[in-house]
Amino acid sequence: MSLAGKVALVTGAGTGIGQGVAVGLAERGAKVAVSYHASASGAMETVRRIEELGGEAIIVRADVAVKAEIDAMAREVERHFGGVDILVNNAALQLNYNFEHDDDSYDRQMNVNLKGYWQCMQAVIPSMKARGSGRIVNISSVHAKRPTDFDTVYAMTKGGIKMLTREAAIELGKYGITVNAIEPGAVNVGRQGTKETRPFVPPELAERARREKRDVRWKFPLGRVGLPSDVASLVAYIVSDEAVFLTGAAIRLDGGSMLL
Amino acid sequence: MRLTDKVVWITDADSPSGQALLLRMAAEGASLLLSSASGGKGIEAQLARVRQAGTKAFVAAADLTRSSETERMLDEAARELGPVDVLVHNGNRVVPISVESGEETAFLDVMNANAKTAFVCAKAAGKRMEARRSGKIVFVGSIHAEKPTGSSFAYSASKAAVKMLAREASVVLGRHGISVHSIEFGPVEGDDETFRSELSLLYDSYRYKVPSGVLGTHEDLAELVTFLSSDDARYLNGADIRMDGGFLMHYLDFKTNKPQTAGDAS
Repeated sequence: MSLAGKVALVTGAGTGIGQGVAVGLAERGAKVAVSYHASASGAMETVRRIEELGGEAIIVRADVAVKAEIDAMAREVERHFGGVDILVNNAALQLNYNFEHDDDSYDRQMNVNLKGYWQCMQAVIPSMKARGSGRIVNISSVHAKRPTDFDTVYAMTKGGIKMLTREAAIELGKYGITVNAIEPGAVNVGRQGTKETRPFVPPELAERARREKRDVRWKFPLGRVGLPSDVASLVAYIVSDEAVFLTGAAIRLDGGSMLL
Repeated sequence: MRLTDKVVWITDADSPSGQALLLRMAAEGASLLLSSASGGKGIEAQLARVRQAGTKAFVAAADLTRSSETERMLDEAARELGPVDVLVHNGNRVVPISVESGEETAFLDVMNANAKTAFVCAKAAGKRMEARRSGKIVFVGSIHAEKPTGSSFAYSASKAAVKMLAREASVVLGRHGISVHSIEFGPVEGDDETFRSELSLLYDSYRYKVPSGVLGTHEDLAELVTFLSSDDARYLNGADIRMDGGFLMHYLDFKTNKPQTAGDAS
């Protein structure tokens, strides 16, 4: 599954899943625009890992809640690489409030997780149209279907992404653009983030596991939580020529944990 | 009467579904808190009718995208009616908006009207129900929480967001004795206009894609909401009930009950 010659834009690529996806795509030959907002050092680490593999990457910065910044980012990627073949929407906030969300934190999370995904699509559609093909992959979550019990608005945004993906698939099909979603379960991103950018580590689950002297892995039939590279493998398949007929799908990638 | 002494809050009471809901639930003995953007002007006849029958009704035009206004309105209404027992979040802002060329303002308008108000209302009502350890919340959603419209992605996304809100709330508020549901409703008369699309054939001959060939009405919706709001539904929580007459099960056009016309080749 070579992606040689393809240009990929990955948002939230300074940390966790986004970093794994950016590296995974580069490993398969894609040129990667590493987009970040807060994690500058993470973005540099992503590029370092890509270059170590002999790949090519640039760093672009944008707050995906702000359309002007998204558009500027897309222009910069085009200037550098000449257009985008692959967009991986991944940058998202998880504030870990349930009904404690106030109006502002509700808006902030909606604007990044849902409006941001849509507007990043809008920004790359022209260059995909021009080429008559494109791949958009929206990183969603098992919480597009299962409640989180730790962040109500996060789940709302993921539910919204499910329908954004389906609507975009029927609208953009005529341009040869496919739009799919991946719904990962818990993914070990191996870092401690700030409250704003903290990855999915349900504290209740960790606490309960500690209390019951059980490993959190008991929730996962394959015996472990996911890794960013697992997500990268699926993204690489979806954006490859092999998956030309796949669109509007949401693929659960959780090691079977939703079945328990 | 299944809602005697219950205080029922219905949002967007001005809408066709809101009107059917208020009449039905009043007939079951409920007192009504009605959110009405028209301040009651759009539902004067309905208000007169239920008040004549002895129903207490409090009408408020608060902006439900703002927590502070919503909270203030609930406190005011509680002084008149007592605390809210049932929230029926109802409301359907549909604005055509394309993924490719849609404007941010239209997106935010639809998302706020359909999804943010749902969150704000559930939070405000949930907090008050929590203190009394009982309550019911019903979100009137749409089949487009699952099926694309081909005309307004923001509408579908907002309804899917509310579906997840209902599931979250069923767990979070469920621990306090509150049950929460969502209804995926549709289609009703006129939806072919509402969801006119150049991409999707969903609403072509849509009446006959309902296997019985009979479209549902807002009164059908009101019946289901009344049941979910009543004590008869005590063990239901977190349910997504698709009420579409089987519309989304439709697959083969030539097997419908659509009357054949002379020109039809099939």
